[in-house]
Amino acid sequence: MPDLNLLVASIISGLLIGAVYGIATVGLNLIFGVLRIVNVGHGAFIMLGAYLAFIVYTSLGLPPLLGVVAGLAVGAVLGLIIYYLVIRYLHDAPELATLLATFAIGILIQELVKAVMGPDSRGFVWNPLAAYEFEIFGYKPSSFQILAALSSLALLAFLYVVIYRTRLGLAIRAVVQDREGAMVVGIDVERIYAASFALGIMVTVASGAILAAYLQTGIHPYMGEIYTLKGFVIAVMGGLGSIPGAFIAGVLFGLFENVSYLLLAGIEGVQPLVLTRSIAFLLLLLILLVKPTGLMGR
Amino acid sequence: MALVDPWTVREAVRKSLPALAIYAVLLAAYFLIPGKSQLFATILFYALLGQAFNIFMGMTGYVDFGYVAFLAVGAYAFGVTAMALASLGSPGWTLIPLGLLAAAGAAMILASMVGAIALRLRGAYFAIATIGVNEGLRYFFEGANILGGSIGLYIVKDLKTLFGDEGYQFMATIAADLLMFGLAGFTVLVTAWILSSRMGFALQAIREDEDAARALGVNVTKYKVLAFMTSGALGGMLGALNWALKEGVLEPETVFFIVYTVEAIIIVVLGGAGTLLGPIVGALIYIGLNYVSNVYAAPLLEGIGIKASGLHLILLAPILIAFIIAAPNGIIGLLRERIRNPTIRRFLV
Repeated sequence: MPDLNLLVASIISGLLIGAVYGIATVGLNLIFGVLRIVNVGHGAFIMLGAYLAFIVYTSLGLPPLLGVVAGLAVGAVLGLIIYYLVIRYLHDAPELATLLATFAIGILIQELVKAVMGPDSRGFVWNPLAAYEFEIFGYKPSSFQILAALSSLALLAFLYVVIYRTRLGLAIRAVVQDREGAMVVGIDVERIYAASFALGIMVTVASGAILAAYLQTGIHPYMGEIYTLKGFVIAVMGGLGSIPGAFIAGVLFGLFENVSYLLLAGIEGVQPLVLTRSIAFLLLLLILLVKPTGLMGR
Repeated sequence: MALVDPWTVREAVRKSLPALAIYAVLLAAYFLIPGKSQLFATILFYALLGQAFNIFMGMTGYVDFGYVAFLAVGAYAFGVTAMALASLGSPGWTLIPLGLLAAAGAAMILASMVGAIALRLRGAYFAIATIGVNEGLRYFFEGANILGGSIGLYIVKDLKTLFGDEGYQFMATIAADLLMFGLAGFTVLVTAWILSSRMGFALQAIREDEDAARALGVNVTKYKVLAFMTSGALGGMLGALNWALKEGVLEPETVFFIVYTVEAIIIVVLGGAGTLLGPIVGALIYIGLNYVSNVYAAPLLEGIGIKASGLHLILLAPILIAFIIAAPNGIIGLLRERIRNPTIRRFLV
């Protein structure tokens, strides 16, 4: 049994990264909830956000969390472009076609970023409030990581306001509940699709900038793939389409990942980091076995 | 249900002829066009991958995103069989039947285990659960250091013990490719038989509307599991031939590589899901596009100063997207919609 301090420390660090996982999955679930499309290129948008934070910090010399704002802007433009160029034509196509199209979009983004930024792994360390750092149960989170968790909550609040406190959000919720019904009462469903897709991409790109807090050297064109997979696990855990479900499942996933790493590290002859991932997917299967539509799914 | 009623046999033979003809042309090209045999072997691999994948995904509409796990498990089973036979000192030829049997068996065991959990799920949940199976297995092999862990399993030495140095050279090159051609022909026959039999109609009913099919008395679970296991077993044998026998190296990173699943989806969707010719046509287009953009277009871009590896993907991705928008039911689906001539339609199976 690992000692108690370590356990509490991994719970705290799990909660911190869990909030980031949560916000990184919300966009995936929003898009699925409204358009019934699984965005297989999800991770590529997260990668884009991480690069934005990197550019904002190293090239412009500004705080990397401004990458969140840049991410929202880039995500909005990119989301609308992709929707009107591709997704719009695939409403009546088989599910497979959309899986494939979003995958191809992801590849395109990866390769374009690679062509512009090069294939090397980059990253940066930012610790603006180093003077105020504190230790809790022997664990010292960097101020960037704490700010990242706070930014995740802020972004979630932004999304909450958009969806529950605006007319656009009202229309989005109406389309989720009943597409034909929404059309009947005069909602332009096509525009709601476009807006929801763009909103989902905005949050996803912005979450990539937040995730940079955990990528001191790990920003590279293919970094998104593992987050696509983690995003899928989290999205299904929370129930596809459910936004609060995605966030809660993200926090739980972060907790689970950190605590199981700690426990596995005690076993000899295994690679705890890798085995943790394996157990995460086992957890996914167990959840689906008990509740085939996820924890918060209908 | 009579397994060999004459109508089914006649239909199956008629349906398999166009596909077998394409494979015969590929085989001829493999031997006759000098220096290009590996290009045709690559087309063969992807056509087979698409065909094996198609039997479950194309016919039922369920997207198994973890499909490559069957290839991986089959490759490992073949590898372990090779090691066992080499240490027992048995003659080399025994490896092919025993290894393929082990590969198919291991894949079928995995299929029944995965099926028990995942086949209860629908749509996106099924797709994501199967990703979980693939990645979970891969990280388990790596993390728990099973069969070489993340370093992998190297069986070249054992294959050389079995076949001798020269025999191994032959087995890993021409023989492996020929066995894959044989497997391709077999897969065509299996697919044609399924399409012509009761099972094919049941699977089609499941794809159109599973609940309605169940209500009409179709044993939905039975046919889904049968298709899943058939598709898995063929995938397992493909993995065994392509990685264990041909390469002699089994690394989790390669054999569980999720991109193979995605490529299988691309090929099946490009060609036409649920059709016999679809995956073969899809593989020809996909590898053809890859080859052209890699060999001809990328150097052009490099010529004007744009240089990066993977450049051909920048060209390939938009072409794929355009293809999907233009023909969401695949090439064969598009041709079936457009062509009215009954003689030509007979060949669009």
